[in-house]
Amino acid sequence: MSNGLLPSRQLMGVTRFQWQQLLGPIVVVIAVSYLTSGVSASFSYLTEGALALLVMVLSLQVFIGNSGVLSFGQAAFAMVGGFASGLLTAPVKIKENVLDGLWEPLKAVNMGIWPSLVIAVLVGALFAFVTGLLLMRLSGLAAGIATFALLMVADNVFFNWKLIGPGPQVMPQVPKFAFVDESIVLTVIIIVVVYLFGISRRGRLLRATREDALAARALGASVWHLRVLFFTVSGGIAALSGAMYAHHAGAVTARDFYLGFTFTTLAMLIIGGATSLWGAVVGTILVTAIGQVLLVFEGGVTFGSVEVTLPNGARGLVIAAALVVILIWRPKGVTGGKEFNLPFLNRKSAAHPDSQVKRTDTSMNIKP
Amino acid sequence: MIQTLLDALSYGGLYGLAALGIGLVFGVMRLVNFAHGELIAIGAYLMIITIDLGLPLSILIAVAGTAALALLMELSVFKRLRLAGPSVLLIASFGVSIFLQRSYEIIFGALPISGQIAPWMSGVIEFGDTTITRGSILTIILALALLLGMRFLIESTTLGLQIRAASSDFQTARLLGVRSNYVIGAAFVFSGVLAAAVAFVLVTQRGSVDPLFGVNITILALVGTVIGGLGSLQGAALGGFAVGATISLLNSFLGNYRVYTYTWLFILVIIVLLMRPSGLISNKAYKERA
Repeated sequence: MSNGLLPSRQLMGVTRFQWQQLLGPIVVVIAVSYLTSGVSASFSYLTEGALALLVMVLSLQVFIGNSGVLSFGQAAFAMVGGFASGLLTAPVKIKENVLDGLWEPLKAVNMGIWPSLVIAVLVGALFAFVTGLLLMRLSGLAAGIATFALLMVADNVFFNWKLIGPGPQVMPQVPKFAFVDESIVLTVIIIVVVYLFGISRRGRLLRATREDALAARALGASVWHLRVLFFTVSGGIAALSGAMYAHHAGAVTARDFYLGFTFTTLAMLIIGGATSLWGAVVGTILVTAIGQVLLVFEGGVTFGSVEVTLPNGARGLVIAAALVVILIWRPKGVTGGKEFNLPFLNRKSAAHPDSQVKRTDTSMNIKP
Repeated sequence: MIQTLLDALSYGGLYGLAALGIGLVFGVMRLVNFAHGELIAIGAYLMIITIDLGLPLSILIAVAGTAALALLMELSVFKRLRLAGPSVLLIASFGVSIFLQRSYEIIFGALPISGQIAPWMSGVIEFGDTTITRGSILTIILALALLLGMRFLIESTTLGLQIRAASSDFQTARLLGVRSNYVIGAAFVFSGVLAAAVAFVLVTQRGSVDPLFGVNITILALVGTVIGGLGSLQGAALGGFAVGATISLLNSFLGNYRVYTYTWLFILVIIVLLMRPSGLISNKAYKERA
């Protein structure tokens, strides 16, 4: 599957900085967020939750999209981030009354949301770095299963160890974001970070390892170093997503970041298109929108004299079916794995060879 | 002590059966089938719903049902993904798994349905001061019988020969005239039959079934398949057995700390993967390029 003869701009994903590729997703995210959150208080709440999910999908994109390695482990870092930020900001009294087994220094500490977010990101990145040093030696299915094992360990530890969290209980009274604006700002920052990492020299090298690991090695790229770096970045972003979720819901439990969460965010990434930032944004918006429409139908909708009520579970059913259908008919996702691009903004792109070269799908380029 | 060992054996046998079902399909098409758990769940649902018809008929219906669903999965989804890589297949099966779970929730409800299948399985046999449950002995016998049966089928029949050939080198097997779709379909049907056997043992132990019935054992068996050895059927069964036996032993030895069984198990899994990324019994054709 080596395409060494083709110039690098034909590789999937961004190769050089283009304003519209960065500003397009940012404008869409800001516009959609303000439009939906303007509808009502419950829509505003929903938008906040969706932005936390988008940050998670971006975390998956920066690692899976660039490296082509499947990872289930990011939910573990979201768990770390959610718990760290939740524990650092919850009132001391609540922690003393509800979380009896908690480590004393953790009980006593209390800080604002913003410093706690920074700590959450650092802790998540540190965890990702340490585990990445070991796990990034693996690739293909072994990497998928090993990161899955990491998620299972994190879930089991957080669900039972009361010294570092609420255990099986809910961690209550986490202070909430006052406005939807905080979530929007954080999401925009992450979009910029993910884009810059994607077009950086290391980002391009990592995508080269995705296309052909042996050729990339011959160019002097260390697959291990690159993957550890991006796994760490991805871990920090995932932790931020967990923290954003905690400050959105006002409470956090270990099971918020388990198989269902992993499935939803992976489905969003793949439905949108794993190899591009724009794909992550589109996938998150699409799946959230479909989910919300179906949720309304699960509650019952009246058309004239006919009431339509979908059974509980219809949402998961449709999203799972959409994922499978996309994998079969459009494996690169609805965006085709391409970045945001308005043809009339970029006259040069008329001659862009992307559209002429038919390429095999290498978004998950794992060889038998 | 004897009970501990027997429990480990019966757990190991059960997980070995589940892992063999996953390994059969993995061998011929490199699919790590997350949706195997939903095959187990439909087997359990069918048994509990039809138990009034008598146990033999109920088991027959369950076996036919799981095999049919397995084949349906292959024809409707995986057949269309022949050119996709293992990671895409894994994610697709994750999707199929969630799809079926939600379907069960819609059809049978989210709450557990209980039913008594073969209540005699929970009786105990006493030898002096050790008591042994009949269930664990029967599980061992059933697992042994099925593993030997599968071994016969794989080693001594033409179809088995084709499955083995396709497992070790799919392209060459095709070139030599092995009908790929037929072999893959057969592997799915056998994995469905094995899922029904697992469903029988599990449902007699638990006495109820819910939409997530098969998830737990599938995750563990799937991990067993991978650490046992990619593309090797003995490896899959052995890996599943190792995972099941390890869980059972950890449960007995950790005492009050048994809630952390999974932590230790999955740390062991990561260690095994780091030391032998292609599994304990590796098959050369499945070595992946890093």
